[in-house]
Amino acid sequence: MSKVNPPLRAAKPGEPADAGRRSFFSWMSLAWVSFTASMLAAGTATARFMFPNVLFEPPLTFRAGRPEELQVGIVDERFKDSNQVWLVREGGGIYALSTTCTHLGCTPNWLSAEQKFKCPCHGSGFYITGINFEGPAPRPLERFAISLADDGQLVIDKGRKFQQEKGQWELPGAYLEF
Amino acid sequence: METIKDIINTLTAPEILITLATILLFVSAKYRHVFYTNTVALVLFPAMFVFMAISMFDEDFYLIVTKPDNVPIVGMLFLIPFFTWFSMREAVRNDRRTDSGTPLIEKEETADKVLTWPDLVYTELIAIVLLTVLLVGWSILIPAPLEESANPAATPNPSKAPWYFLGLQEMLVYFDPWLAGVVFPGLIIVGLMAIPYIDTNPKGNGYYTFKERSWEIMTFLFGFLILWVLLVILGTFLRGPNWNFFGPYEYWDTHKLEALVNVDLSDYFWVRLLGMGRPDNILIRESVGFLVVLGYFLIPPMVLARTIFKRFYENLGPARYHIMVFLLLCMASLPIKMVLRWLFNLKYIIGIPEFFFNI
Amino acid sequence: MSQLKELLTSLSPTKLGEAIQKSQIYRSVFRVGVPVSDRKRMLVMLGNVFLHLHPVKVRKSGIRLRFTWCMGGITFFLFLVLTFTGLLLMFYYRPTIEYAYVDIIDLREQVPLGIMREIHRWGAHAMVISVWLHMVRVFMTGSYKPPREFNWGVGVILLVLTLLLSFTGYLLPWDQLAMWAITVGSNMARATPFAGYEGPGANLLTLGENIPLISSTSDARFALLGGTRVGEMALLRFYVLHCVGLPLVAGFLMAVHFWRIRRDGGISGPL
Repeated sequence: MSKVNPPLRAAKPGEPADAGRRSFFSWMSLAWVSFTASMLAAGTATARFMFPNVLFEPPLTFRAGRPEELQVGIVDERFKDSNQVWLVREGGGIYALSTTCTHLGCTPNWLSAEQKFKCPCHGSGFYITGINFEGPAPRPLERFAISLADDGQLVIDKGRKFQQEKGQWELPGAYLEF
Repeated sequence: METIKDIINTLTAPEILITLATILLFVSAKYRHVFYTNTVALVLFPAMFVFMAISMFDEDFYLIVTKPDNVPIVGMLFLIPFFTWFSMREAVRNDRRTDSGTPLIEKEETADKVLTWPDLVYTELIAIVLLTVLLVGWSILIPAPLEESANPAATPNPSKAPWYFLGLQEMLVYFDPWLAGVVFPGLIIVGLMAIPYIDTNPKGNGYYTFKERSWEIMTFLFGFLILWVLLVILGTFLRGPNWNFFGPYEYWDTHKLEALVNVDLSDYFWVRLLGMGRPDNILIRESVGFLVVLGYFLIPPMVLARTIFKRFYENLGPARYHIMVFLLLCMASLPIKMVLRWLFNLKYIIGIPEFFFNI
Repeated sequence: MSQLKELLTSLSPTKLGEAIQKSQIYRSVFRVGVPVSDRKRMLVMLGNVFLHLHPVKVRKSGIRLRFTWCMGGITFFLFLVLTFTGLLLMFYYRPTIEYAYVDIIDLREQVPLGIMREIHRWGAHAMVISVWLHMVRVFMTGSYKPPREFNWGVGVILLVLTLLLSFTGYLLPWDQLAMWAITVGSNMARATPFAGYEGPGANLLTLGENIPLISSTSDARFALLGGTRVGEMALLRFYVLHCVGLPLVAGFLMAVHFWRIRRDGGISGPL
């Protein structure tokens, strides 16, 4: 490699001997940089192609009947199939629990005899509050925003989530005083 | 009969089964001259067959084994032990030849070159014909599994991944999804691809042998047979509703209760050992866990390089050596976490659910 | 009478065979003819594009069933079977939530030779096992050692592709088994470090102040499913990957794999 190649063109008078080669290489590097950049841009654009702008899935907000229909201490499973939400009424109020297990997204079953949600996939167990107490689930079930509409119906907004481990269950909307 | 069934049900509990299988693997390798012989195979494989056949009379056993999707695993139950045994038998035979100075079985025929047509082409043709017959027969006899139409609201109990991923699903019992589902599978692939670059032993290239590369073979067989195939079998046959363990002759009772209350390392340290509450600061709370994990990946490589891995360190050089030890430590972390779970109900060494970072 | 006899003799199978072999059509297709001599046996291996996968001569030790178990060959054959049966299944199967499950039932109940799906499914399971055994054989004979390091790596990727092909195919019948296996499997992608919205490090990636870059609609799992749950888009994506994407990649890598077997000195053996 120590052998120096002859310049690609003869040096003009007053110009250093290898200037032609140097400018050639800078053009080459510019070409390579723009080639790489355009390839990266094309790759990113192709990856973006896989994420559509509009998603045809059920609406995130739904009405869930009147709060008086719920009984204290009973898990309401009416919206489990259609909206993936459990409604639970306690002494002081109502909250909406997500039916998605925080481990791997299976749907747990409410076992009223044992007073717990039990996930069939890997055996995670949650109390009625949504707090995890057994199995591999790393954190409690999520709660969705719950509020009262003008007509006295419950409104669940699945677009807003409240996570206990982040202290969000204390925030307004996570719990409806009733 | 019931007593025998109870004994087998007890022996197949994950902790006992995995321990027994590991012991069997290493003992059989140690006494390979006795174990990997025709006599043992003539006893072992028919015995396995008879065991399966008799067990079929048990209702619960029959139900699990004849589930359509489990049929290939029953085949695997015989095929993989057979081919393991076979390759080890060839290895033992070759080692014996090396000891007595006679050329290897393969070596005798290496110099001979034969025409591909007809010698190889016809072997392939026969294999193709036999396989086609097997496949068509299998397809006529056993219909492919099909359950009710998909229903996003009803999770079947248990719900299982495809059988070849059940090793991963079993791993999920011990590790969080980001490790068991993403990092470890990635490391398995990278680790497998790295094998030829880490294993610089020039011997044993192109023939069966055990003695010349016993370390490599035992590592591979432990990883493949125990940490993959055995976990697949465990996940298929012995994991029932709620991912609880069920013996092969046990009824899959949905309401079987198992104490699954697991404790984090931070709980053990702050609450049980020091008798105080867990600190609020995450980093302080999990400092013990971080130390344990860092120590696990930093101390053994240095200690091993000076002790039992001295030979590797000298032969491989630092880069290869550290990659090898890192991969081995990752592999060993699975059985280590299993044992910790079985003995201490340990859930997380580092548990930061706030950032989805649990180890 | 004698003319009739002559005609009959000329129609005998032997004569007919000879006549066919002399015809221009036959000779244009099979250049070498019936490989009866060693020279022709070599020429047939060189002249035929499919047989050309093999060298003309092989080491005797390398073709022993005792050595290779024929597992690589079996795997390749199963891939061909799956391609063929899969192609036939595509004539009846529509990858939509409305039709997928019904079409699978029709494939068994209404379509003649109703075992096509069975062959496809059992063949797929068999291929997973045969790939594993092929890997065990290659490892136990130390055949990944130089000069075959690269080809072992290609083989590992092919193993992963086999599993992915089987996994994507698992969803297509759209039954409970399919749906929940894929739910459990794809949820792991949710936990991908940095790229999954419940993976460690994902909430460190934000646009500006606090708009998360990785959410349930922009993470690795979403790219796989085309939605936030296993639904219509997921079925379509898996279908495309299963029928076109992954087989193309696998086929390409198989070409590399087979080519490198020959370039790296054929089936391994002691030197």
